[in-house]
Amino acid sequence: MVKPIVWAVLLVFVTSTHLYAEDVYECNCVECHRELPTSLQRMFMRYLLVYGGEKNLKAGLKHYLKYPLREISVMSELFLDNYAIKKKTTLTNEEIDEALDIYWEKFKVIGRLK
Amino acid sequence: MLASKSKVTNSWLKSEKKSLFRFLTLYVAMVIFMITLLSLFYYQSQEKLMLSDQRAMLTNYAYIQTKKLKVLHHFFDESIEYPRDSRFKSAIYDMEDVQIFSLLEDENIHFHEEIYISKSYIHLVKTLDEYYLGTKYLIIEVEDSGAWRGIIWKNIIGYGSISFLFFLLFGLYLAKLFLKPMRDSILLLDRFIKDTTHELNTPLSAILANVEMMDTDVMVEKNRTKLKRINIAAKTVSVLYKDLTYLTLEQEKTNDDEVIDIRELIYDRSEYFSILAQSKHLECNLDLEESSITIDRRKFTRVIDNLISNAIKYNKRHGTVGIELKQGKLVISDTGIGMNEDTIPFVFDRYTRFNNAEGGFGVGLSIVKNIVDEYYISIEVESKEGEGTRMVLRW
Repeated sequence: MVKPIVWAVLLVFVTSTHLYAEDVYECNCVECHRELPTSLQRMFMRYLLVYGGEKNLKAGLKHYLKYPLREISVMSELFLDNYAIKKKTTLTNEEIDEALDIYWEKFKVIGRLK
Repeated sequence: MLASKSKVTNSWLKSEKKSLFRFLTLYVAMVIFMITLLSLFYYQSQEKLMLSDQRAMLTNYAYIQTKKLKVLHHFFDESIEYPRDSRFKSAIYDMEDVQIFSLLEDENIHFHEEIYISKSYIHLVKTLDEYYLGTKYLIIEVEDSGAWRGIIWKNIIGYGSISFLFFLLFGLYLAKLFLKPMRDSILLLDRFIKDTTHELNTPLSAILANVEMMDTDVMVEKNRTKLKRINIAAKTVSVLYKDLTYLTLEQEKTNDDEVIDIRELIYDRSEYFSILAQSKHLECNLDLEESSITIDRRKFTRVIDNLISNAIKYNKRHGTVGIELKQGKLVISDTGIGMNEDTIPFVFDRYTRFNNAEGGFGVGLSIVKNIVDEYYISIEVESKEGEGTRMVLRW
């Protein structure tokens, strides 16, 4: 009798910990992009190519997430023809900022070159 | 040429020299300023020339590096090794001037200059149109050997020195040319004063000698008074003449120092001036102790004469002239008009006169000061307006 209870408690703990550990970037960005053929890394490099610096990139990306438009997308025509542009985000400004911070830290070039 | 001129000419020529010196100082400062300015322009233009020579090569390096950055950008997930080149060093910065990666020796970047020298390195700042790896500024760095700088300095020092010498000689010639009319006038004036002074000597000596020789006992009182006046006037002119002679002719003579019995000299000079003192009904109080000094007699006589003459001239009628001599100290005092405290510091200035009632050119005390300074004798002036003046000499 005691053993199943212990297992149940353990299961609940692990599940809740896992759910809690997933940040706004993992939950809202990675999930959708998994379906796309272009990695988030490659997309980041596209953004970097267009926007240059951290603040500019974050601001440009934030604007695109809030007001997605084909004309301002950094992706190729072919990509957009196949996958269209994303839907308008439902995240709050704070959540977007947090997601973008994580995205920047994950793929930034500064400090990675050798 | 200057050595043959009299002292006064020398002093005027000294002022000419002073003017020449001032002009040349100003001229040299201006020439140095101009040469420095031209050197600066030359240096800057040569630096620009050198940089424009380097620009083509560095732009080519920047092009090569940009291509490598482009490749790295597109294959960033496969390689993270920054492209290196043995010919130059480079760095990349994003649009917020944040360093992405750098191999530079000198990290002092001027983002708004295209090409510049920093310490001993030349930097080319290339702005990229496409931000590979987020790069807006690509910095290409090569070492500056400094050889061009050596050549420039050599040219600046060489040509600068030649120009400086040329302008200096030209300035000297120019100054002499400008000062020539003034110099001629000074020499003419000097000759005139010397000749005039010399011409005064004969008649003045004749007047004084004849006045002394006249037998006053056989004269009527009226004539005796007239003769006395002539004597006073002649002696006043004589003091003035001696001062002028001292200034124009004698000052340049070498000193003939000897031990002088001051008491004897004062008795002698008091006797000489006694007729002047009598004319103002002055009482002379002499308190003379034995004292001596090693000095040129001519010069010390000028000092005593001027001090006694002033004490008489600026005294009140029925006043007192006091001469007190002690070892190392001589005091000549009067009970005359005295001087304002503010004017005392200027009393020894040449041509300075505080009272126009009496004759003179205001050269007497200036001569006194020159002489006492020459022999390290201190002179103090104690004066109170309306009460009198005391001149104290200490040696």
